[in-house]
Parts: sequence; C-alpha cells; structure tokens
Amino acid sequence: MQTTQFLTPMPLPLQINPPYSLDPRGPGAAHIADLWWIMFFLGTAIFLLVAGLMFFGLFGRQDQSAPNEQQGLRWIMLGGIVMPAIVLLVVFGITIRSAVLNANEVGTGEITVEVVGHRWWWEVHYPEHSVVTANEIHLPVGVPVEFILRSNDVIHSFWVPQLGGKMDLIPGRQNTLILQADEAGIYRGECAEFCGLQHARMHFMVIAHTTEEFEQWIESQQAVAVQPQGELARRGEQVFISAGCVYCHTIDGLDDGAVDRSDSDLGPNLTHLASRTTIAAGTLENNRGNLSGWIANPHGIKPGVLMPATLLPGEDLQALVTYLETLQ
Amino acid sequence: MATTLSAQDNETLKQIWQPPAGILSFFTAVNHRTVGLRYIITGLTFFILAGIAALLMRLQLMFPENTFMNAELYNQFFTMHGTTMMFLFAVPIMEGVGIYLVPLMIGTRDMAFPRLNAFGYYVFLISGIVLWVSLLFGSAPDGGWFAYTPLTGPRYSPGIGTDFYATLLTFLELAALVAAVELAVTILKLRAPGMSFNRLPIFVWAILVMSFMIMFAMPSLITASAQLALDRTMGTQFFNPTNGGDPLLWQHLFWFFGHPEVYIIFVPALGIVSTVLPTFVGRPIVGYFYLVLSLVAIGIVSFGLWVHHMFTTGLPILGLSFFTIASMMIAIPSGIQIFSSLATIRLGKPVFKTPLLYVLGFIIIFVIGGITGVMVAAVPLDTQVHDTYFVVAHFHYVLIGGAVFPLFAGLYYWFPKFTGKMLNERLGPIGFWLTFIGFNVTFFTMHFTGFAGMPRRVYTYLPDLGWDMLNLISTLGSFVLAAGIGVFFIDLIFGLWRGKPAGDNPWGASTLEWATTSPPQPYNFASIPIVHSRDPLWDANGELETYAVEPYLGRRETIGTSVLDARPEQRVELPKPTITPFILALATAFTFISLMVNIVLVPIGGILIALSVVAWHWTDIEDHKAKEVKQEPEGALPSSAIISSKGRHPTFWWGILFLILIEAVVFASLIVSYFYLRAGAEEWPPELVGRPDLLLPTINTVILLLSSIPIYLADHGIQRGNQRRLKMGIVGSFILGAMFVVIKFIEYGNVNYAYGWTRTAYTSIVWMIILYHTVHVITLLIKTCVVGIWAFQERFDSERNAALQVNGLYWHFVVLIWLPLYATIYLSPYVLGSGS
Repeated sequence: MQTTQFLTPMPLPLQINPPYSLDPRGPGAAHIADLWWIMFFLGTAIFLLVAGLMFFGLFGRQDQSAPNEQQGLRWIMLGGIVMPAIVLLVVFGITIRSAVLNANEVGTGEITVEVVGHRWWWEVHYPEHSVVTANEIHLPVGVPVEFILRSNDVIHSFWVPQLGGKMDLIPGRQNTLILQADEAGIYRGECAEFCGLQHARMHFMVIAHTTEEFEQWIESQQAVAVQPQGELARRGEQVFISAGCVYCHTIDGLDDGAVDRSDSDLGPNLTHLASRTTIAAGTLENNRGNLSGWIANPHGIKPGVLMPATLLPGEDLQALVTYLETLQ
Repeated sequence: MATTLSAQDNETLKQIWQPPAGILSFFTAVNHRTVGLRYIITGLTFFILAGIAALLMRLQLMFPENTFMNAELYNQFFTMHGTTMMFLFAVPIMEGVGIYLVPLMIGTRDMAFPRLNAFGYYVFLISGIVLWVSLLFGSAPDGGWFAYTPLTGPRYSPGIGTDFYATLLTFLELAALVAAVELAVTILKLRAPGMSFNRLPIFVWAILVMSFMIMFAMPSLITASAQLALDRTMGTQFFNPTNGGDPLLWQHLFWFFGHPEVYIIFVPALGIVSTVLPTFVGRPIVGYFYLVLSLVAIGIVSFGLWVHHMFTTGLPILGLSFFTIASMMIAIPSGIQIFSSLATIRLGKPVFKTPLLYVLGFIIIFVIGGITGVMVAAVPLDTQVHDTYFVVAHFHYVLIGGAVFPLFAGLYYWFPKFTGKMLNERLGPIGFWLTFIGFNVTFFTMHFTGFAGMPRRVYTYLPDLGWDMLNLISTLGSFVLAAGIGVFFIDLIFGLWRGKPAGDNPWGASTLEWATTSPPQPYNFASIPIVHSRDPLWDANGELETYAVEPYLGRRETIGTSVLDARPEQRVELPKPTITPFILALATAFTFISLMVNIVLVPIGGILIALSVVAWHWTDIEDHKAKEVKQEPEGALPSSAIISSKGRHPTFWWGILFLILIEAVVFASLIVSYFYLRAGAEEWPPELVGRPDLLLPTINTVILLLSSIPIYLADHGIQRGNQRRLKMGIVGSFILGAMFVVIKFIEYGNVNYAYGWTRTAYTSIVWMIILYHTVHVITLLIKTCVVGIWAFQERFDSERNAALQVNGLYWHFVVLIWLPLYATIYLSPYVLGSGS
C-alpha cells in the first residue's frame, strides 16, 4: 500500500521550546516556578530532618539513662504537630501570595481568544477580530490574553506549561484562563485531561509575536480564500467539494453551492491551513508529504480519529493538496 | 466460673469447629482465617496482574512513538491497572488482613457474621474475574479508573467496556461494605473480656477507622456508578449536559469517595507499621493515645479534601483555598504517625529483620510522597502538575510507600502465623533492596517528567521534547522494581514449601494473635483470653488468664462483650459451614450482569436472590426450632444469654445499624445530586414537567409516618410479653405500609410523571429517588411478613425478640428517611422557586 510510508509520523523539525514548566516564559508560569522552588527547599529540609532522625535512631548511641516515654512524646509534639503546623502556615501563605501576585500582574485580558475542545483538536476563535483557526494560537507578546474555554464533546484540559497552569474545558460550562507570553517564540500546548482514544495526540502550538507581527497575522487571517490560480489547484478545489471534505471542514470564501454544511464544524476550519506550522493537532509538520499522508490515511497516524480516510486517485490527491497549499 | 476447659470439652470444641473437607469445602468454608487468606491471596494475584499491565505500559513508553501497544489497548491497560490496584488489590487485601487478624488480635473465634464474610469474598472474586476476562476479549473499560463523564457516557463510550466498569464497580462495593460492617461489629462486640478501647491494639483501631470510612465513602461511589450505569443502559440524563445533566456531578461524587479511598488504604497500613515496629525495637509504640487520635483525625479530615482533585475545573478560587487548607492539614496527623515511629525507633533497640526494613522503607518513601502531597495541595502549583507525571510520581510514593511497603512488612511479619513456617532471612533483604531501589528509580524520575510537560494517560509521545531519557530510565527502573517484587513472591512460595517451623510467637511480639498456635486452631482460642493491658503477652509473663465458654450447647459460639468496657454479656452463636453465601453471591452477580446484558433478566435475578436469602435463613429457622434452652452446667455462662436482648443488643442489631448508616449516606448523596443538578439548571423543575402535585404525596407521607406507631407499640408490647399487641401492631404497620406503596403507584399514573426518567436530568433524579425509596418500603413489607408469621407462631417472648427489634429499627429508618426525600422532591420546588 502506497500510504504505509506515512504510518510513522515524522518528527517536527521546527524550533519549538520543550514544554518545560520550570522554564517559564510568562508571569503565570514564573510565579508557579518560584513557588515550586521555595517548596522544594522546604520539602528537602524536612525530608533530610526525618531521614536524619531515623538514622540517628537506628545507629546513634543510646542514652545511658533508661529510655523514657517523655522524650518520645516531645518528638511527637515538636516534629509531628508544631513543625508541620508552622511549615503549613508558611506554605499556605506563600501559596496565597503567589496566586495574588499572578492575579495582579495579568489582571484582566486585553484580547479574548475562545478555545473549543473537540476530540481530538482545538477550535480557536478571535471573537474581536472575527478570525477562526485551529490547533494554533497566535498572541502578542506582553499582553494578557483571556482564554474562554468550552468543550464540544468530552472534558479536555488546556495547558501551555511555559505560560501557566492548566484549565479544563467542560461541556455545558465555560471556564476562563488568563495567560501572557513575555517572549516571542513557539510554545507547546497539550490536552491534559484524558479525553479518549487520541488524547495523546491532541497538541497545539502557541505562537507569541511582537504586536506588529500579531496584527499582520490577524489581518492575513481575516481574508477569505480566493479563487485558486492554476488548473491543478482549481481541480483540487473541486475535489475538496466532491470528495466530501466540505461537509466537515469550512473554507471561508469557497463557493460550495448548495452543499448541506450543517456539520461543517466537525473538523478544523481550513481557510488558512497553509499558514499553520502543524497538522493533525500538533502531531505532524505541515508539509506536502504529511498532508497527503494524513488525507489518505489519518488512522495510520491517529488511530480512531473521527476523520475518515479519503480514497482518492493519486492525481486527485495531488490536486487536493496543491489546492490546500494555496490556502495561505 | 471456670477459666479453662476440661479435656472432654476440648474434644467437643474440636469436633464442633471441624472445617469442611472435600472439593465442595471451597464453597462452604466460612471461617474468618480461610476467608481472610483467600482475600489476601486473591488480592496479591490481582496485584501481580495489574503490575504486569503496568510493566507492559512502561514498555510502550520506553521509546517515543513506540508501536509495542496501540492506543486502544493502552487505554484499557491503564484503566485496568488503576481500577485493579484500587478496587481489587488495595482495599480487599487490607480488609483481608483485617479479617484474618482482627478476631485473633481481639481474642475471639470468628467474625460476627462469618457467612456474610464469605459472601463478600465471592462477590469480590466474581467481579474481579469478570473484569479481567473482559480484558481478554479486548473489551475492558477504557475510560480510566476515575471514569469521567461524559467520556464514559453512552455517547462517547458506546462499547460494553464501560458497562463492565459501572456495573461491576457497583457490585464490587457490596463486598467492601459487607466487610466493613462486620469488621466494625466484630470489633465493637466480640472483644476479649477486659479489652477496653484504651487497650485495643493500634492495628484494630486502624481497621475500625477504615471500616467507618468505607461506610461513609463507598455509598457515594455506589450512587455515582449506579447513575452512570443508568445513563448508559436506561438512557437517564444525570451526566448529559445537553439535557440538564452535569459532568461535574460525577467528579464530586467520585472524589468524595475517591479521596477517602486513599486513606482507606493508608490507615490500615499505618496500623501495620505501628504493630510491626514495636516488635522489632522491643518496646511499646510511643504515643499510643496520639496515634489513635491521629488515625481518627485522618479518617475525618480525609472527607474534606475531595475538591483538590478538581482544582482545574474552574471552581471559585475562595472555595478552593478551603480545600487547600484542609488538604495541608492532613499533614499534621500524618506527621504524628511518622514522628511516633521515629521516637519508637530512637527509644528502642532495632533488630534488622526484613519486616523492619520494609517499615523503614515506608518512612523514607511515604515522607517524600507526603511532602509532594502538600505541594499539590497548593492551587497554583497544582494547576501546573495536575494530570502530569509529577502527580503520577506523587501518588505512587503515597500508595506504594504508604500502603504496599507496610503491607509487605505485615506479610513478612505474620507469615509465620498464617502458615506456621518462617521465611528466609537471606532472600528478604534482597527483595527489599531491589524493590526500594527500583521503585525510586522509576518514580522519582517521574517528578522531572511531569515538570518536563508530559501529561498522564498518553499512549505515546513525540521525540525530542526532553522526555525520551526520563521515560527510558523509568522503564528500566520498573523492571528492577518488578524483580524485587518477584523475589518477594519467590520468598513466600519457598517459605511455604521449605520454611522452618515457627513457634507460637517467633518474634516475641505482644499482641494476642501470638498467644495461640501457628497456624491457629479452627476456633483460634480454646478459652478466651482475658486482657489487662495494651501489650498482654509482654505483661502477662507467659500466663494469660482465660475465660471458658463451655461448648455444652454443641454449636459454634464465642463470647460477646459490652461495647465500651468489654464486659462479657452474651453467648454469640456462629454459623456452621454452608454453601448459601456462594449461592447468594452467584444470584447477585447474575442480577448485576443482567443489568448490563439484558434488562429482562433482572427480575429473574431478583427471584434468584430472594430464593437464596430464603435458603440462607432456612437453616436458621431449623436451628431455631431446636434451640430449646438447655440447663447449663454449674458455673457456666447461661444459655439464656444467647440473644437475650434486655438492654443488650445482639450483633445482628449492630449490623443493621451500620446498614442503616450506609443507606443514609446513599440517600444523602441522592439528595445532594438533586440540589447539585438544581443549582446548575436554568429552570427547575423544567417547565414541560412542572411542579409536582402536593396533595396525594402529602397524605401519603402522613400515612407512612403513622405506620411507625403500631410497630413501635408491637415492640414495646412484646418486651412485656404481650403477644396480642405484638400481632396487632405488626398487622397495623403492614397495612399502612402497603397503603403507602399502593398510593405511590396511583401517583405515578399522574400525568406529571408521564415524561419518564429519560427526559431530563430532573426527571432522572426524581425517579431515581422515588424508586429507590419504594424498593425499600417493599423490602420492608416482605421482611415484616416473615417476622409477622413468626409472631403469629408465637416464637417471640419478652426475652427473645431480636428479630423484632431489628425489624422495628429498620422500619423507623425507612419512614424517617422519607421526610427529607419528601421535602426535597415535593416541597423544595415551592419553597425555593423554580431555578437559579
């Protein structure tokens, strides 16, 4: 079978930061990392104390006087009650402090991004800019962004380790999370709540730009798709409609006539597919080979994915991919 | 009063307690040690299976993009790993150790309800086997042991896998609850004379606390898993957000059980630690009083922490702070436990035998798990590490460190008592060190994996994210860990085969289980020991005072003592070996599996259960006829003290009291479900259903309330020997109860209910509450019929009326519990208005 070469996805060669939560790039993650380091040193001290007392008890020299219960009770009082009480007060204090500091710094969001969880991809809306995309979130650097989180099916969880903590997307509810990126770069995001078969391949990218770049990006995303140039691409456009892609995927500006598109949000909006860095929810680099492989056999890459395999003659597939590549 | 038995009495005792022989004996044995060992062996078997599942998962995660296992299988494996470790290993094995040891430690001959004990075991065995067979057929549950809705609902998990989970879990909880009830009754009523609460061994305290925790926690899970099963098989809407249901309702109910669950496992483990440690340092545990207090505190506080599993669900931050404090607070009683151990080590002279090694391993590992536990209680940090490998590391430190290490210490410690043979002191330390090192390599690494951003429950991961090496190390470590556990099992098997004979008390321990032979005789103690201190074997200088229970009645008996100060007050009859528990377990299993396969079969199951219950009690009734009071020999405990109930309740009464407690928690979780769903609804009740009519239900409520009066008069009457008042009272109550049921059915014909329970979450919860209560009333009527027949045969008198007392107790409960239900369903829509 021709498609077997796509069974093993190719690694992403993109320059993306590893999703290391102790390497923060935003105030949310930074405050948490600070909190962690304080707790880490406190915890280590307590562990060393307990381990030390244990070894002292095992191997230390016995008191010459008869061992007495009073001394033991003092250990329980000091070590089991007084010490934990003090440590817990301190820990609780710094915990509250951390939450307050973060709230003060990011305040309220200046931009709103709506994220809707699907099995197993992320729908992304910029309601203030009328932009719809998927699996890729662009942000301006240094601006707090309010994420409105909803789910279309089961519970997911939205997590960008380098920017901050996670928040669940729960069907029938709406959660919010404010994040801010302090440095330009590409940050990995993951679904952190088990959501079924392909939970493992439900990634997304957060791309932080300077404000100007971000505005350029918004502008480019606001454009609708134009009539493709070249015969192959035009044929691809027809394949997109005739092969049924159009039933689940929206392309703004596409003249798809009288097609019933009531289910057209089942799959990601593809209006600007070619501008994205990855496909299949952050699983594959967005290039021609991966795209063809994905269309022909998505189940080879994400077994159980809701997108059906599309059996197309080679030429049609080439045409379709050529068309999709025009969707800048 | 005689203190020891004559030689002839000893012979009689042996005959009476002769265990069943032959092939059938597997299905008829009821002795607590047989059942306890079965729990332990079965639990260890599931431990091995779930451990193998874990190793296979580690192989899959050894390399990025590994294709050793596909997503489908991986999801089934991690679901089965968690479900098995929690429900089929940890809880049952702790109960099993308790079932084996508690009667020995408190100096009695068996559990209070040996048949129920055996029944619980079969339920556990059957549900475990069915769950694992489902994995063989590739249709095991795959929604995680936490089974979050709506992923596990009918829409997103259409296969039968999750039905196994929802149905079998509900079934399996029966076993846990049954064991909890009888452990508690055994500890309250069957303690050796003189064993007042301040002399109770710490392990028995721990089991008592565990039992009460199970009684409070499991009903919440039963409610949730029943709702899930109904959603899946009947089409109710509890967790479907498009019809008024709420996925978070599941999380609240699940974690209200799920968090105490961790401590249900941990508390008996603490009991083991505080029992093993004194023996190997040669002095009593330091701070007995503080230890007991902190066990109780852990039991209570653990019910206030469940929301810390839900820090990322978007609940209001103020509420979350409360749960942060509560979660951190549990560090104080845990700290007391640890520092008591440290002080005991310091003041004693340690002898480095294998059980002590495992206790020391527990201290090191558990302290690390406790420290990371305080960390994840902090909301901001938790939002980073929640659902990552950091949390996987944390709870394996708590569960393996806090439960498996103490359990292994306990198994090494009590193996000579279980088998009469010693284990090898060469293999023991090798197994310990492999386990300890392998465990830390595997799981300490996972803290880093979590910070590196790897989420839990992923069947594979992309390369070059900084996770490759960490996962490889964890996988290699897991095989060292497995080798250590392998050595442990080889040691057990080898010891069974070749172990040197152990005496009665090979370690020189202080508690009563070491006062009898290894393994103990079927009756544990020929004469019941009398206890004067906390460490009877250390303080008695070899000679225990005993209390004889002369076997002149020719049946299995032990002595019942008063709850607080353990003064002997009654002879407690214990049942002979019987197959009825097994048959009842089969009938119950049939009913539960029918729920899953075909609802039509459920009534058949109901009939089978009813028949089994009749068979169960049939022997009792036969015995009852033969139970003419014999004249006791001079000085013996009189036979009239059998179930004489003047001011002293029989064990049976206590069992029913705890059943009522469990039921009350189930009803409470149903009421909570109602108001939780109401709080999330825009309109409550939904307009198309409308508010319920008040007239008929109110009249009916009055009828039900009135029905308590005749039954009260009947009980009161028979206490004074008035047979006529007894008969009239029972008939009166029966008629009123039956009227209640009839009017209920008339009421359901009413148009308001015609929408059925599949329409919205509102109709689902209202129907569930009403049906559940009606089932109780009908059960009550059937019970009353039976008691009524006995009453008309004039089997009761002023001395012997335990069955009536118990029936009355349950009757008042079913009546009283209706009041909050009535207020919830009928009054609250009028009082609180419609919707939030």
